[in-house]
Amino acid sequence: MYTGPIIDCDVHHARRTDEELLPYLSPGWREYVSDRGPAGIVPLTVQDGLPNPHGFMRIETYPQDGGPPGSHFLTLRRQVLDRADVRRIILTFGDDSHVAGHHNPYFAAELARALNDWSVDRWLSEDRRVASSILVASQLPDIAAAEIRRHAGNSRMVQVMLVDNPFNYGFGHPVFHPIYEAAQEIGRPVAIHGGAGGWANPASTGGGNVNLYFEAHTLWPQVVMTHLVSFVSHGVFEKYPRLKLLLIEAGSAWLPSLLWRFDAEYKGLRREVPWLRRLPSEYVAEHVWLTTQPLELSPGREQVVELLGWVNGADRLVYSSDYPHWDADEVKHVSARLPPHWHRRIFFENALTFYGWKEADLPAALEVPA
Amino acid sequence: MSTDIGAAHDFAERQVRIVDVAQRQIGIVRWRGDFYALSNICSHQGGPLCRGVLSGRLGATAPGEIVLDDTVPLIACPWHGWEFDVRTGRAILDPTLRVRTYPVRVAAGRVILDLDRVGAENVLASEA
Repeated sequence: MYTGPIIDCDVHHARRTDEELLPYLSPGWREYVSDRGPAGIVPLTVQDGLPNPHGFMRIETYPQDGGPPGSHFLTLRRQVLDRADVRRIILTFGDDSHVAGHHNPYFAAELARALNDWSVDRWLSEDRRVASSILVASQLPDIAAAEIRRHAGNSRMVQVMLVDNPFNYGFGHPVFHPIYEAAQEIGRPVAIHGGAGGWANPASTGGGNVNLYFEAHTLWPQVVMTHLVSFVSHGVFEKYPRLKLLLIEAGSAWLPSLLWRFDAEYKGLRREVPWLRRLPSEYVAEHVWLTTQPLELSPGREQVVELLGWVNGADRLVYSSDYPHWDADEVKHVSARLPPHWHRRIFFENALTFYGWKEADLPAALEVPA
Repeated sequence: MSTDIGAAHDFAERQVRIVDVAQRQIGIVRWRGDFYALSNICSHQGGPLCRGVLSGRLGATAPGEIVLDDTVPLIACPWHGWEFDVRTGRAILDPTLRVRTYPVRVAAGRVILDLDRVGAENVLASEA
C-alpha cells in the first residue's frame, strides 16, 4: 500500500445547520430567507434529487455530536487528514455544491458568495492543509466571474467548481466563457464534478432523464463526457490556452474510447470547427486531468491499467477519496488497483502539477496544533 | 506517358473533372488558374474522393468564426469527410496519409497529364 504524501482532490464539507450560513448572507437575503414564520426559512439547498436507498454517507462519518458528515472539522481531520500523510485536501462542498441547480439565479449567486466566504472563514482557518473550491452560480456567468476574481488573492481557493448545469448547453458553450476567462485570469483551474447534469434543472443525462439513482450514478461519466466534448468543440482551450480542467468523480477508463472517437470525428468534421488546430485528444492531453474515484472495477486490475495507459493515466490522474460519501475510494484500494510506479504521481505529484504547486508550498502532515 | 485530356478552356475554375486514363481514375482540378491531378481513390477507406466537395480551406482566428483561405484547395471525401490538400495529396489531419498526385501541365491550350512522373508534392517540394 502506498504510504507517501497525498493530495486528496475531492473531500465534501458541509454546514452543520442552516443557521451556520445565515451570517454570511447579506442583510437583505438573510431577511428574505428568514421571513416565513412557522414555515421556517427558505430552503438554502436545491430541493430535488434521487434518493440512495442506503443514504449517501458512510456510516462512520456522522459526527458524534450531530450534524451531517463533513460538517465537523475534527471528525474530518481524524478520518481524512490524519489517517495518512495527507498534505492537502480540496473541499468540494456537499448538498450546497448544487447551487447552480437553484431556479432563482439571484439567490444562487448570493448563496455561492456566502458559501465561499463560509468556506474560507470556517474551514481554511482550521488547518493549512485545507483548500477549497470556489463555488459559482453559473446561472449568471458575469456575476460568477466577479465572484471568481474576488478570490484571486487567496491561494487556498484553488479551483472554480461547476456541478449543476443551469442551461441546456454543454459547459463549453460561450455563455459560460466569462467564468473561464476569470479562472484563467486569476490562474485557477476549472473543475467539473460528477452530477453535472441537473439535479434540478435540465436533463440529468443526455438522451433523456433517468428515474433511478442507480441509473443516474452509472451515467455520471456520460454527463462529464458531454461537457468535455463541449469544452473542446467550442474551442475553450483555444480561447483560454492556459486553462486547465479537472473532471471529478466521473471515473476515467472511458476516456480512451471517447478520444479515439473524438479524433476520428474531427478528421471528418473539421469544417464545422475550423478553430480547432489540433486533434481533440491533444487538447485533452494538455489541459485535462481526472480524479481516480470511482476507479472502474474491471474484472482484473490489468484491464483498467491498460486503458489508462492509453491516456497517460500515470500523469493525468489525481487521487480523490470522495469522503464522506458512500462510494468513497480508500487509499489502500486505489493502491492495490494501480501499478506501484504510478502511485506517487497519482497520489501526490500530478495534483502539484495540476494546481501549479511545489511540494515545499504545502504544509507537512501533522504539523498543525490540535 | 503523356496524355492529352482536353482543352484547358473546357475545365471550369473550382471544379473537379474525373478522367479515366490508363485504367486509373484521376481527378483534374482547376483552382485559381492552376491545374492539379490526383487519384480518385481515397487512401482512408477507398471512397470516390474526387466526387467530394472541393473548396478553399476553412479556418478561424477564434472560436465561433469561419474564414476562408482560398489559396489552399481541399477536397473532402464524400464517404467520411476527410480533407485532402489537392496540391500535395496529403490528408490535412494525418500527414502520413496521402493520395497519389500526378504532374499536369498546359501546353498549347491543351491539358497534359504525365502519369509516369513524380507527383505534385514533389514538384512543390523542389520549388521550395
